[in-house]
This record gives sequence, C-alpha cells and structure tokens, in this order.
Amino acid sequence: MSLRFQRLLLILLTLVIILSAVLLILYNTRENVSYFYTPSEIEKSEIIIDKVMRIGGFVENDSFNKISSSSFIFKITDEKASILVTFKGILPDLFREGQGAVIEGAFSDSNIFNATNVFAKHDENYMPASIKEDLKDTGYWNKKYK
Amino acid sequence: MSSLVGFLSLVFSICINFYILLSIYIFKSKKQRFNFFIRLSSILTLLSFFSLMYAYITSDFSNYNVFQNSHSDKPIIYKISGTWGNHEGSMLLWLSILSIFSFFFSFTKNIEDNFKKLTLIIQAFLHILFGLFIVFTSNPFLVNSILVNEGLGLNPILQDPGLAIHPPILYAGYVGYSIVFSIAIAGLFQNTDDEWLYVAKKWSLISWTFLTGGIALGSYWAYYELGWGGWWFWDPVENISLMPWIAGLALVHSLMMVRGEQAIKKWIVFLSILCFSLSVFGTFLVRSGILTSVHSFAADASRGIFILLIFFIITGFGFLVFLLKEPKKSNTLNLLFINKVSALVINNILMIIATLTILLGTIYPIIIEVLYNKRISVGGPYFNSTVIPIMIPGFLLMSIAPILSWQTNKINNSKKYVLSFIILSILVLIQSYFLDFNTWGFVGLLLGFWIILASIIAIFSSYKVILGIKYFKIINPHIAHIGVGIAIIGITSSSIFQNELDFNLSEGDVFKVNGKTVLFEEVETTNQINFQALRGKFLFDIEKKQSKKIEAGKNYYPVSKMITSEAGILHQWNKDIYFILGDQKNNEWFVKVLINPFVSFIWLGVIIMMYSGLIAVTKR
Repeated sequence: MSLRFQRLLLILLTLVIILSAVLLILYNTRENVSYFYTPSEIEKSEIIIDKVMRIGGFVENDSFNKISSSSFIFKITDEKASILVTFKGILPDLFREGQGAVIEGAFSDSNIFNATNVFAKHDENYMPASIKEDLKDTGYWNKKYK
Repeated sequence: MSSLVGFLSLVFSICINFYILLSIYIFKSKKQRFNFFIRLSSILTLLSFFSLMYAYITSDFSNYNVFQNSHSDKPIIYKISGTWGNHEGSMLLWLSILSIFSFFFSFTKNIEDNFKKLTLIIQAFLHILFGLFIVFTSNPFLVNSILVNEGLGLNPILQDPGLAIHPPILYAGYVGYSIVFSIAIAGLFQNTDDEWLYVAKKWSLISWTFLTGGIALGSYWAYYELGWGGWWFWDPVENISLMPWIAGLALVHSLMMVRGEQAIKKWIVFLSILCFSLSVFGTFLVRSGILTSVHSFAADASRGIFILLIFFIITGFGFLVFLLKEPKKSNTLNLLFINKVSALVINNILMIIATLTILLGTIYPIIIEVLYNKRISVGGPYFNSTVIPIMIPGFLLMSIAPILSWQTNKINNSKKYVLSFIILSILVLIQSYFLDFNTWGFVGLLLGFWIILASIIAIFSSYKVILGIKYFKIINPHIAHIGVGIAIIGITSSSIFQNELDFNLSEGDVFKVNGKTVLFEEVETTNQINFQALRGKFLFDIEKKQSKKIEAGKNYYPVSKMITSEAGILHQWNKDIYFILGDQKNNEWFVKVLINPFVSFIWLGVIIMMYSGLIAVTKR
C-alpha cells in the first residue's frame, strides 16, 4: 500500500466514524428525549396514551394516599391544574406534600399518569428552573422557594 | 476575627498577583523576588482558606457562611467538610488548589526560566480572575448581621465521609488543568525546545488522576448513599465532570505519544485549553443554575454571568494564542494505516466525539428551550445509546494500540492475538448463552475480557520479566488498560445483569434472595448525635452459622427536617447485595433487594487506572 492510499483509508475511516456519530446523535435526540410539561400544559393539550414524558410541579396538599407499602397515589399540581399520579416503588426521601417534584412516566388512560420515576432533589426548597419561571409568570410563586 | 484574617489575606493574595503582573510588564523586576511573591500569594490564599475552616471548626456563627451551613451539633469531620460543602467555601477551595499548584510548580527545576515565569504569570492572572469572583459575588467571610448561637446546619445528604473528601479531590482534578493550560500557552510563547511537553505530561497526569479519583468517589457515594442502587445517572453534573475527564484522557495519550510532530503538538495545545475550558464551563453551568440537576446548589444569576465572563476570557485568550502561535521545531507526522500514530489519531477523534456528544446532550435542553420554548430532558437512554457505541471502536483499538509499531503497519505476533480473540469470543458466547443472552452484555463482557487478555499477552510476549520498579514502568500502559478492562466488566455486569427483587414483609418474616434465606428481624429506631436512625435489620443466609447482618433504613435530621436513605449493602467479591427499606403500611414493610454483580470490579478498575496514572508521572 502506498503512503497516500493508507492516508486516504484513514481519512475515509475518520469520516465514517464522524458520520455514524452524527447519525447516532440525530437518531437519539429524536428517540431518547422526553418532553417536560406542567400540569396545566397537559390539561390544554391532547393526551397521548403511553407516551413517555416528564411532569413537574408540586405534590398537592392532602392528595397523598398510601395504597400499600409500595404503591402510592397523589396529585401533581401547578395550582391551575392537577394530575392524578400512581407510583409503585420507593419514593425519594425528599418527597412530601407541598414540595416540588418531577415525575417521569406515561398516561395509562386519559386521567391517570403512571409514574416510573419520581424525582425530588437534594435541596428541600428545590424547584426545577423551568417551572419556577412558569409559576413566577402566573403569580403562583411561593416566596419560600429560592 | 478569623473571618477578618481570612478576608484580608484573600485580598492581599489577589493584590500580590496584581503586583506580579505589574512588576513584570511595567517595572521589569528581577527573578528571585518573583518566585517569592508567587509563594507568598499561595500561602496567603491557604491562610484565608484555613481561617474559614477555623471558623467552621469553632462554629463561629458571626460568620454568615458558617451560620448558613453549619451547626454546633455536627461531628468534627463534617464541620471541616462543611467548609467546602457550600458555594462560597467551595470557590475558596478552588482558588486554594490553584495556589497550591502554582506553589509546587514554582519549585520545578531544570526548565527554562522564561518559560517557567510565563507559566506562573498566567497562573497569577487566573488567580486574579477567580479571586475577584470570590470577593465580589461569593464572599465566604460576610459578617452575620444578627446575633445567633446556632447555625442552620449542613445538608444531611452531604454528611458522609465519602462526600467529605470528594470535592477537594475532584477540584484538584479540575483546577490541575489550569496549570496544564498555563504550561501549554507559555510553551507556545517561550519554549524553544520541546521541554514543555514533558512538563505538561506530568501535570496533566496528576490532574487526570485526581479527577478520576474525584469522579469515582462521587459515584461511589451516589451508589451507597442515594439508595437508587446505581452509581451513574447521567446527571448534568456528572456529565460535566466526565467531559474534561475524557478530553484529559485524550491529552494524556497525546502527550505520551508525541515525538515532536508539529500536528500533534498543536493538538496538545488545543486539548490543554479545552480541558481547562471544560472545567470552567462546568463550573458555570453548575453554579448558574441553568441546568436542572440533583446537585442543586444555591443558584445566583450574577455568579453565573461572572463565571461565564471568566470562561470567555480564558477560552478566548487560549484559543486566540492557539491560532496565532505555532509550536516550534517540528517533525512531520508519520501517519500509516495502522501504526501507533494512526491509532492515536483515531483514539483522539473518538474521545473528542464522545466529549462533544456528552456536551450536546447536556446543553441540548437549554438550546431547545431557547429555540422552541419547549422543555425536554435528556437522560440515561440518550447517553447510553450514543456515547457507548462511539466508545466501542476505541476500546477495540485500545486492546492492540500499545503493541503497534511506530514505523510500519506490522503487528508482532498477530496470529496469537487473532486466535485468542476467536477463542475468547466463543467462551463468552457460551457463557452468555447459559445466562440470559443480552447483546450489550455480550459486547461489554467480550470487550472487557479481550482488553485484559490482549494486554496480558502483550506484557508477556514483548518484555522480559525483571523484578524492580523499572519493569512496572515499562508495562504501565498495559496495566492501565487492564484497569479499563476490569472496569468495563464491572460496568457491564452491574448495569445489564442487575437483578431486582421486591418484597412486602412483616418483622420476623423469612424470604429468599439468590437462593439464600434471609430473616427480616426487626425495625428499630435509635437516637444518634445529630439524627434519628430507623433501621430494618436483616440476617443474611441464616442457614449458615456465620450469617451476615445487614441494616437498611433512613436517617431523620431534625435540624434541617430532612430524611436520608441508608442502603444496606453486603459486599462480596463477585456481587453486592443491596437492601433498601421502603415505606410501611399496617406493619408491612416494602423491601427492595438489588443484586449487582461485579460492582467491586468498577472500583478496582478505577484504582488500577489511578495507580497507572501515578506511575506514569514518575516516568520520563
């Protein structure tokens, strides 16, 4: 193999690598990304069953019920709309009524959301930045949250 | 009082660095004094840091920062770690580590004076930037305006020995790249020979080793403290630490392989700037609160903007110099189809693509929000299915790269390698057929075992065994790769072959885990120094005489009204059995048991990589 041919091969190989990386990224940003909504956005839009998404808001006061030691039912609210959520498993330590939480999962029918993951974060005053914005805009901002 | 000392010494250290810059460029002063001032400024910065630590140890609540983040009830170790358990203190730690690096660098011998001086001047410049940042936006020495006798307490989740030492080690990695950055830029300006490459290699290995340790500690902590049973979550903050790590890995490889080639030297400078830029960029993303992460530090927009400014100054300056200056005295690139140089090039391309992929995934939500006003989250599935496939060719290349030749396309003993690869594939295939077959599991295990096997063959067929330190230095690259192989086996098995069992149990119940009988003895509440502990007690393998006790439960911290989970982990060499105590109803407790095969291999692999990093530092 001449030196020139070897280098040509290398350049081709590099291009193939880069191309496949770009394709991978494009494919995965379509397939493996979940959208993030507030309860009132969900209420406004049409519900697609079994589509994975995240919903962020507060756990509504007096909405939390223990069905068994590992299955729970509660509501996520942004003070304008609320969504009924079921969850099986272990809730995070910081999960409690009146606190911010993000849930991931899908609607099993038009009004019950099956959460597969519940996130409540390190800071007990934690609120996802995006929801903070929304709440500030709508005037439901609780001063307690930083 | 200590706050005042701390603040003044911080301000003095910044002034000294200003003076250093002025004296060089305006007054043109002499050399001996220069080193003295650099060291003085380092000592003052450390003094400032230790004054803050002193305030924490003595629970001096007249300091606002201490009041906000400490409590007199805490055990002493968490009072000390409280110093960097908050934004202000951690930035002071950042600056202190920067000073320590400058301090040690000022003792480097046998390098050209002008080059050394310029490196330290750039360090002084960085010191000023971050120093001003601390003074103006995150001063840890503010006086508490109200008189109090008790503080608000440290976030309980941070009260853990692993996490106490995680930030200093991680920061040593991040900030270590500052000196690599300074060396690379000074090298472009000053150094007439390639001395700077050797110096840069040493320091980048040190930084990389620290960064590896810091990341591993963080994920080990997440593994046993967060109670999710996993050790890596593709959280933005984790991604941010992974980016300079991968770029740093590319840098270390380039530095070890460079033989004076112009193109590679240029690339090294680029990587050095990139590593430090990524470290600063990471700090910006975390501190500005732009990213939603489990590490929700108190966010403040003005801090974010200030760090963004620093980021632009550093990156802008770095890349400007990079574009204008050319490395001197060069050899041409000896690029063949498959020799050491081409392997290096491809390895670097893969690592940079991986870094960019992670960067893209991390900031993609921000881009989408700005462009379409839609909010998305990019989590594990994206990263797993993008980053891992990109890394696979790199892992394959890694197994043979150290034995490639410099000058030709020939691979010594190639038949041996091909044969052993085929045998290994068959073995792994048979093994995975008997377990549940899983494509990713098969690929991961094959890669891991193949890297180890190829490295061992290379060690025994290429070098004569001699006893002594020299031998370990020669085989060091292979040892590092064996570490990677072991880690890959651990990562693959613990994530793909993880087994999850759920139970609803009352006290006194007996259940089966992995064929062994486990007794759920009782649930007990006890009072500890600064928390209340609720523990479910399990007796593992009760049929044997030496059954093992496992305790899993929760801690309640009254000061901050927080609960943390405490997983009960039974470590065995080939698996971890991970108990999580869930909620209860009518005296029935929910217990989750995870069986994580070969988790210990991850930590073992990391330790081997760090060992190799340190050995490589001593190698000329």
